[in-house]
Amino acid sequence: AAGMAAPTMEERKACWGARDEFWRCLDSHGDDAAKCEKLRRAFESRCPQQWVKHFDKRRDFLKYKKKLETEGYHPPEAAGKS
Amino acid sequence: RRLRQLRQLSLGQGDFQLQDTAGRARRKADFLGRWVLLYFGFTHCPDVCPEELEKLSRAVRLLERDPALPPLQPLFVTVDPERDDAAALARDLRDFHPRLLGLTGTPEQVRAAAAAFRVYVSAGPRDDDGDYVVDHSVLTFLLDPDGIFRDCYGRSRTAEEVARSVRGHMDSYEPLPP
Repeated sequence: AAGMAAPTMEERKACWGARDEFWRCLDSHGDDAAKCEKLRRAFESRCPQQWVKHFDKRRDFLKYKKKLETEGYHPPEAAGKS
Repeated sequence: RRLRQLRQLSLGQGDFQLQDTAGRARRKADFLGRWVLLYFGFTHCPDVCPEELEKLSRAVRLLERDPALPPLQPLFVTVDPERDDAAALARDLRDFHPRLLGLTGTPEQVRAAAAAFRVYVSAGPRDDDGDYVVDHSVLTFLLDPDGIFRDCYGRSRTAEEVARSVRGHMDSYEPLPP
């Protein structure tokens, strides 16, 4: 059986709130994480480690997706093959 | 004969042997006579599962507004039986629809249930305090009162769209004769 209970709905919402604050900070600082240290720490303290990893990956994915939508897909150049 | 075969097929297809939060054994046959909306997830889920359960609950509430519609049973099957025992489900599913029933079981039973519904499940690596997330297909399945699979709904469908679709199936449903 489980040793660790899942976060409650309140804890979940607190985590999402901290994540959103951190992401808003990143958005307004061109993703410069150094400018958002305090909010990053708050985010890490409010969310389970596994969720922090999950949300970090999600942000990367969302940024990549946005890039594809605005810039289009450029396949990587083949390195010196012919 | 064909109808008997269909009925047998419906029970064989997507059957499960699990336990609910009161510890009672539950299989698909127990839910015959009711429409079922079934979601596979886990309580330690960062975002997707609570959002899908919120959506599922909203869809059920929308349909409940119409007293002419037949009853609809929302079901949650865990893909993380190691942590989601009956007590965990009873506690964490309270945040959603009051009739949402949680189902769990042994790892083998849960694996069999997921396989019966062709749901992909993959537990991720554990970190230092033993926490992990479970990657899984995000789908809500609609079963009719004969236990036959009718539709499935993914992330992109809204609660209103799900309710509309379920209502459509309910309106066009013809029960298998006994």
